[in-house]
Amino acid sequence: MFKLKYLIRKSTVITLLSCVALSTVPCHAGENPLKVVATQTMYSSVVKEIGKDRVDVKYVAPPKFNVHFIQPKPTDVRNITKADLYVDAGLDLEAWSDSLLEAAGKPEFFRGREKNVDMSKGIRLLEVPDHQLSRAEGDIHIYGNPHYNMNPENVKIMAENVLEKLKSIDPANASYYEANEKAFISRLNEKITEWKKLCANCAGQEILSYHKDIAYFADFLGLKAEQYIEPKPGIPPTPKHLEFLEEYVKANHIKAIVMPTYYPKDAAEVLAKRVGAKVVTICQNIGELPGTDDIFSFFDYNFNQISEALK
Amino acid sequence: MRIALILILFLIFMIPKEACAEDIAALEAQVKQLTQVVYSLKTTVDTQQQEIADLKKTYQIKYQTPTPQPASLATILPPKFTPEIGAVADVVAKLDSSKVDPENVNRVSVRELELVLGSNVDPYSRLDATIAFNDKNEIDLEEAYLTRFGLPFGTTARIGEFLPKIGKMVPVHRDSIDTVDEPFVIQRYFGDEGMHKAGVDLTKVLDLPLPSVHQVTVGVIEGGNGDGGTAFGPARRRPTLYGHLKNYIDITDVTNFELGVSEAVGSNDNDASFKTNVFGVDATLRHTIAQDKEIKLQGETFVLNRRESIDEFDATTNPSGDFWGGYGLFDVRLSSQWGAGFRFDYVEPVDRLLADPNKGEIGYTGYLTFYQSEFARLRAQLSHIYLTNGSIDDRVFLQGTFAIGEHKHKLQ
Ligand SMILES: [Zn+2]
Repeated sequence: MFKLKYLIRKSTVITLLSCVALSTVPCHAGENPLKVVATQTMYSSVVKEIGKDRVDVKYVAPPKFNVHFIQPKPTDVRNITKADLYVDAGLDLEAWSDSLLEAAGKPEFFRGREKNVDMSKGIRLLEVPDHQLSRAEGDIHIYGNPHYNMNPENVKIMAENVLEKLKSIDPANASYYEANEKAFISRLNEKITEWKKLCANCAGQEILSYHKDIAYFADFLGLKAEQYIEPKPGIPPTPKHLEFLEEYVKANHIKAIVMPTYYPKDAAEVLAKRVGAKVVTICQNIGELPGTDDIFSFFDYNFNQISEALK
Repeated sequence: MRIALILILFLIFMIPKEACAEDIAALEAQVKQLTQVVYSLKTTVDTQQQEIADLKKTYQIKYQTPTPQPASLATILPPKFTPEIGAVADVVAKLDSSKVDPENVNRVSVRELELVLGSNVDPYSRLDATIAFNDKNEIDLEEAYLTRFGLPFGTTARIGEFLPKIGKMVPVHRDSIDTVDEPFVIQRYFGDEGMHKAGVDLTKVLDLPLPSVHQVTVGVIEGGNGDGGTAFGPARRRPTLYGHLKNYIDITDVTNFELGVSEAVGSNDNDASFKTNVFGVDATLRHTIAQDKEIKLQGETFVLNRRESIDEFDATTNPSGDFWGGYGLFDVRLSSQWGAGFRFDYVEPVDRLLADPNKGEIGYTGYLTFYQSEFARLRAQLSHIYLTNGSIDDRVFLQGTFAIGEHKHKLQ
């Protein structure tokens, strides 16, 4: 028994040593694409639009899940240790981001540092708190609503943020990135005009949302969104709150209850049935549903859904 | 343009009356030249003005965000020089069928109030501290360590008092484990509440051309165990060396597997030559079904090998001084509000003053967790235990864990 353990011990030491030795072998050099890790699919998509084949982009949050509550994996840690640039939402959308960067030991990716792109930079924030906050109000957004990805106008600002950083860390390809960004923005402008036209019927109507993640979407379309299935952000609905909503939806002639795919649908469906409204899936993440795999198809899907529901 | 005109007029008036015809001709030529310059300047200015107007137009189309902004980030972000401060209260009620240990049974207690502090120190490092208070008026410095990032070869170092990365459960904060109490193997070998020690360790994610992830940690910590632990001797001056290799792979997008091996070498006496070897293997399989729906299977085993100076026991009972223990955990997150699980425990006690040292303690534990919100959690746990002295013990726990302020969990 003791001999066996001695052998195990020896082999462990050898394994550890050989791993360390292997890891110090220098990495392949040459014209490699810039390695970028983005927290979400929206940001990896924006980086890809501008960097095209000169960037190798990975994302952390799988699109089928709520980006507020992601458990990053060792694979993400490894990807970050190898990356040249990190792109995140800033604010308090991804509470897990700081621990992830600490685990990867990359201080140059920390908030405000040289190799971090904060996508919220330059975004006009909505629902910025005007009073001292308390958790009694639920799991609230302390800096203002961070779900700004939902307005395509904001994508232009994100593109600008990415372009600026790509140019500064890879100046040799600056004109390439600039040309890609210009083409992307002009296509986006065309699509925005198209989406506004498609959703002309939405302006002025009121919707009910599950979570407080719809403000920027509503702002873009001129929708009103004042009540939520969650009585307070992050707090599941109570029977009393649903009773109140039933009256509210009836009184305000609300036709659509909007929510992404990852929240439980039961409460919304019961309510919709009672008041004769529709439950409408509005994706929060690119790739949340099949066929929403890039920026344009993502917004296409969402705007088609809402304009159809509010006809 | 005006300046140019004034200049021309000035020049005209400056011409002396008695100037000769030649001079006048030269001046006329100069005036012509100047006029030409003025015109070319005017056209330049006009085209530039037009360009500016065009640019403004495109700029406005591109950035429709109204100015001034209602709230800029600079005004709403709190000053970030104050460290993150949080507190976690852990309230436990315990009912025990045992009649032998009157001290820790049948009571409601604030088992722990943890004060958690942390902040970046400078661009290279971060300080984390956890101070625990309990209702016996004891204060315990659970953690106080500096993390130094970005060392050569991509290593990260920790210096100070910390939870050593031995196995899967020892490095985890008590408020993050799935059950009310630590698995028996952790309690008996490392300490009732696990183990925190002063020391230094280095961690590195290995850069290998494999789809799997491999992370190695090596460290030196002070000797001894946590309260109630028996793996090492109580001498804190003889250090313990440890190493951990974590191997991880994503099987699919939603299923992953982790296999870890740990080794710790320390003394079990004041004499440096007496060694305790702890070898551990841990395995975790996780499968995510949907948002807030997850299954986890986790198992961990430790083999202890102790060499004693004087074998005060009958050599036939346990000749090599080998002991082992382990646990298996099955945890299910049912929804955002509910979770449940089961744990099986087995551990051979190091305490040799027992009738049969080869007989281990066996435990069956079931638990149910209710998450009132992200920051408040209630848990009920039932344990059925076969003790080594032959008696059977049933324990009921009710636990409430409540967190306030900022408390980020370290990634494991
Ligand atoms: Zn939110």
